[in-house]
Amino acid sequence: MSSRLDPVTLEVIRNALPAIANEMAADLQRTSYNMMIYEVRDFCTALLAPNGDLVSQNVGGVSHFVADLGVIVADGMKRYGAEGFKPGDVIITNHQAVAGQHLNNIVIYMPYFFQGELLMFAMVRAHWIDIGGMSTGFGAGPTVADPWQEGLQLDQIKIYEEGKLDEKMYRVLRDNIRFPESSLGDMKSQMAACRLGTRRLDELLTKYGKDIVLNGISHIFDETEQKCRNVVARLPDGVYEANGSLDDDGLIKDDPVKLHAKVTVKDGHMVIDLSGCSGERKAAINSRTLAGARVAYKALTAPLEPVNEGSFRALDVIIPEGNIMMARFPAPMSGWSAVVPTVVDTIVAALAPAMPDRVPAGHHGLLGGAMVFFGNHPQTGKRFVVQSLEGGGWGGRPMEDGESGTVSVCQGDVRNGSIEGIELKCPVLVEARAMRADSCGAGKYRGGLGLDVRVRNLVEGRWNFEHTKRQNCPPWGLWNGKAGEFGGYLMRLPGEQDFTPMRGAHVAVPIGSEAIVRTGGGGGWGDPLERDPKAVQHDVAEEFISAEAALCDYGVVLTAGHKLDLEATNQRRASMKAK
Amino acid sequence: MPNVIVVAIDIGGTFTDLIGFDTQGQRFLQAKSLTTPSNLVQGIIDCLNKSGLQIGDIAELIHGSTTAINTLIERKGAKTGLIVTRGTRDVYAIGRGNRPESYNLFFQRPKPLVSRALTREINGRLLASGDEHEALDPASLAAAIETLNAEGVEAVAVCLLHSYVNPTHERLVGEAVSKAMPDAYLSLSHEILREYREYERMSTTVVNAYIGPKVGGYVSNLESNLEKIGFKGNLSIMRSNGGVMTPGVAFRRPVAMMESGPVGGIIASARFGQTLGITDAISFDMGGTTAKASLVKDGQPTLAPGYYVGGYASGHPVMLPMIDVVEVGAGGGSIAWIDEIGALKVGPTSAGAAPGPICYRGGGTEPTITDANVVLGRLDPDNFLGGTMKLDAEGARAGVERVISGPLGMDVIAAAKAIVDIGVLKMSLAVREVSVEKGYDPRDFALVASGGAGPLHVMAIARELYIPRVIIPLFPSHFSALGMLLADERHDFVRTFYADLSRLNFEDLLATHAEMAAEARGSLRYQGEAELQTQLDIRYVGQEFTLSVPVERAQLDASHRQDIRQAFDALYEHRYSHSSPDEQVEVVSIRVAAVGKRTPLAFPAVAAGGAAKPARLREVYLDDTTKPVLCPVYEREQLPAGAHFDGPAIVQEHGTTTVMFVGDSCTVAATGELIITVGGVA
Repeated sequence: MSSRLDPVTLEVIRNALPAIANEMAADLQRTSYNMMIYEVRDFCTALLAPNGDLVSQNVGGVSHFVADLGVIVADGMKRYGAEGFKPGDVIITNHQAVAGQHLNNIVIYMPYFFQGELLMFAMVRAHWIDIGGMSTGFGAGPTVADPWQEGLQLDQIKIYEEGKLDEKMYRVLRDNIRFPESSLGDMKSQMAACRLGTRRLDELLTKYGKDIVLNGISHIFDETEQKCRNVVARLPDGVYEANGSLDDDGLIKDDPVKLHAKVTVKDGHMVIDLSGCSGERKAAINSRTLAGARVAYKALTAPLEPVNEGSFRALDVIIPEGNIMMARFPAPMSGWSAVVPTVVDTIVAALAPAMPDRVPAGHHGLLGGAMVFFGNHPQTGKRFVVQSLEGGGWGGRPMEDGESGTVSVCQGDVRNGSIEGIELKCPVLVEARAMRADSCGAGKYRGGLGLDVRVRNLVEGRWNFEHTKRQNCPPWGLWNGKAGEFGGYLMRLPGEQDFTPMRGAHVAVPIGSEAIVRTGGGGGWGDPLERDPKAVQHDVAEEFISAEAALCDYGVVLTAGHKLDLEATNQRRASMKAK
Repeated sequence: MPNVIVVAIDIGGTFTDLIGFDTQGQRFLQAKSLTTPSNLVQGIIDCLNKSGLQIGDIAELIHGSTTAINTLIERKGAKTGLIVTRGTRDVYAIGRGNRPESYNLFFQRPKPLVSRALTREINGRLLASGDEHEALDPASLAAAIETLNAEGVEAVAVCLLHSYVNPTHERLVGEAVSKAMPDAYLSLSHEILREYREYERMSTTVVNAYIGPKVGGYVSNLESNLEKIGFKGNLSIMRSNGGVMTPGVAFRRPVAMMESGPVGGIIASARFGQTLGITDAISFDMGGTTAKASLVKDGQPTLAPGYYVGGYASGHPVMLPMIDVVEVGAGGGSIAWIDEIGALKVGPTSAGAAPGPICYRGGGTEPTITDANVVLGRLDPDNFLGGTMKLDAEGARAGVERVISGPLGMDVIAAAKAIVDIGVLKMSLAVREVSVEKGYDPRDFALVASGGAGPLHVMAIARELYIPRVIIPLFPSHFSALGMLLADERHDFVRTFYADLSRLNFEDLLATHAEMAAEARGSLRYQGEAELQTQLDIRYVGQEFTLSVPVERAQLDASHRQDIRQAFDALYEHRYSHSSPDEQVEVVSIRVAAVGKRTPLAFPAVAAGGAAKPARLREVYLDDTTKPVLCPVYEREQLPAGAHFDGPAIVQEHGTTTVMFVGDSCTVAATGELIITVGGVA
């Protein structure tokens, strides 16, 4: 067969490769045993070449998994060599020296052979609900001192060799995790998804032949690279910088985690230098990841295109060893992703002057609000864990308000737990999932609102509360817009009048306590005094903002029944501007 | 044998199509009229009058309409209020908090159909078990109703937590609303959808309420107007799941007719494909406003368990089963225009039925795809709709000149061809999305073209996507209506029924099943022929997603746990290539579909013998814009079965025109379909 590419074949290959990854993702999601996969979509499915090139990856999952499996393949090839992989092998790994994420993120992969030649790997990274260690659910908190406290470390282990299960390894896994039926069920689903991927690859390769497919893939990489270059080429060359920070690392107070992005644009090429970010920490918020830079770059270049190796060829990322995002083993990483959304936002903010029409104000910037409550059900004796991720406010945009109650830039098609689903499975009442008035940053286009989600426990159990991260660097405004309100956690024990702020893992609470998972609001875009007074009036009528905020932040005067007093408004705005 | 006439009427964006079949006379009747957006019912009556049918002879009239979807998309529904459980006021706006477009900083959440001010919370709470945790508080309910009443709300949606398992509170709210606001349209979530996940149920219920007054009113209005002109037969309304329902059901659940227009053509594609031995087909339907594509695999339309009106990323969830369709904004009425940097664009704005393309003489001033086809001579101005509507060719040409070719400084024929080519590219995307993007190679499929503008463009689309074979069915411009003639009555019901299979109480299950069966049967008109299909949604304990396992009533009667278990494991193995026979499984919901079988229609074969003879020759611009080709024009009605002819050729029939290019080759099937092999591809 000739290896000449006709346009339709190229089109078929272009669409078939992401379709394979997406079908793997759909299969995994539909057969998974844990909400982190089926609702939160905390996973990625991908096809990779033996040199680590990303051939295709699923769309819609967690953004910060973008193109991050190459290092695993490269490491696997180094360990086993091309000859060391055999049909029927299944490899499991989560070791932080290479994977650089929390141990819950388990990678399962399988080699794919075409006519006896190792041609690709099908891989699935997915968040297991438990990996042993001192905590469960989303992963241990920032106080975990090292990977051994965090859980089982699996370093490129063949759990199946040529189709044969390693029974002893399997028993070690089963006996050292809290929800073996869930996690091992997920392992089975991950393997099935990989197998599906290799089957679909085989159909494609058999139909078109190796040369045509590989030729097509390399062509697609080139095109993707060019598309990204074209976008960056339209920006004025220059060096752009911005700062951000997290309040502290959760271990040492009053020692902010500084973030700095330096972006250099030249002739369609971009360099994102994160050297100015904090060094690695004793607290478990370290990682080894390029995700911050890559998510930002992807969002600014080709947000709606499928991702492949070509997506980042025109980008260089500089993160020196020992940086918080290039931490060295055994720096603890259980809270690995906490800094990433703020890093993304910082990079995006740096580029605001270069692309003012494509940069929104800052968003809530948290992977939360994570809801984690767990315990043993007194009636059934079974363990349970309540989990949901609640969205927050997004920043105002150059032509409209930011969205409310939506997950962070690092999370894509991540869905909150439905109240009915949570209550069906766990002994709690979700008493409210509500937008919080005035949590949005004021602006010509205001930020979106943050949420308060209130949960009452019907049995005893323990809460995991994250520490407040953005109190001192709340979601920023842009072009004179104001900052949004930060999020956090609050608690009211039975008999108490008021909610009080909380932090800490494994907080035991008596029956009938109420916890609030609070998410931040988005920053405002543009001067609030330029906001259409009618839009302000509408916001008050809808109770998104208070009449007081309308007056103080926007200079809009409303009389009884939310009637707009335009004359008084114009006067007030003029005097506010004069100040 | 009595004279039984069955009629289907399909309202599209531009045309209202009628097709009837006389079972005794073995003949079809057809008519077409312009859709009258301001008074759709009048359009139906016009069409009936045009058909020459004796209204009193019609035994059954099946109707599909875009009125439901248009009401939602154009946001022309009722002022709607929403009553919810305390603490869940923002659930509808927050949704699932997701951003399906992971890297898009400018993603859009669905825009709520109910304002926050008109969403009122009431006190009272159920548990997931259905037990009452807190009694319904009449004072908070009265306050909520008072607010909605004072605001002049026309429709009220009610969605309380856990009402899918225990609807008592919702019923009480419903009674109070009916009493205080007798004129308001009311939708209770448990009557629309009895499944857990409050956001999706709430959205489905809100959509139903929002379109309810307008669409429900439309259905009642149609019923009474038909009666006035002497209609004595049964009226059936087409629904999105490919079945039909009575007007009574449609009035209560207008949300079920959301996609009732396009599904007819897909049913027809599947049925006719099967008679031709083609099990894998892509149904392509191009009307005046949009083009739609849908995949038929192994002879069956593909069904989705629910869908998002306006797309998954930013659309409104409607969790009712429907046939899977991809739609793009390109139709005969799509307007050609020049953007700010001087690029030629086509659509998505459509001239629709009013004012319509310039050549329709309805006051349209902007050139459309249809006008471009007239300029190219592909549409014959003197033979449109069987010559009943004379097209204004001069006007079309002047329009293309004024808006496109003049400003761009190009030849008017070349401009017209560019308009058509850009339209073809857009439509190819829809066909691509249902095939290539799902990993199917379109070269393995046949493309079935329908809609007034489908056969006009299908050969170019087939060539674009290397599809080797095209089918032009009988009555392509009435194809959706034709499919409606073939549709059975169908109602789908689902209820969450959460239980461990090993401990499942079959008595409880049978009681629920009996309740559902009674409800399902009660909504059926064709009760005698009713077929009840039952499925249990089952999963391994700890999973979220389920598989629907078909079960027999006898298995439930005999508590056949093991049979059901094995059927689930087998289905799981088939779908996912692995299974876990040792793990616990749980039942999540029970599905009952009631199918009322309509008497199947036996269509006549086409007379065989003889060669295809062109009726005349006409000058048409095909690939070369500098020189027209003298094309033979065939009359579809004159083509005998078995006839064969090659392109270039035009096939003219009432309601549509098929354009074949050089290299295309057509054979007429025994049942009358045109089977065309695509030149340079096949």
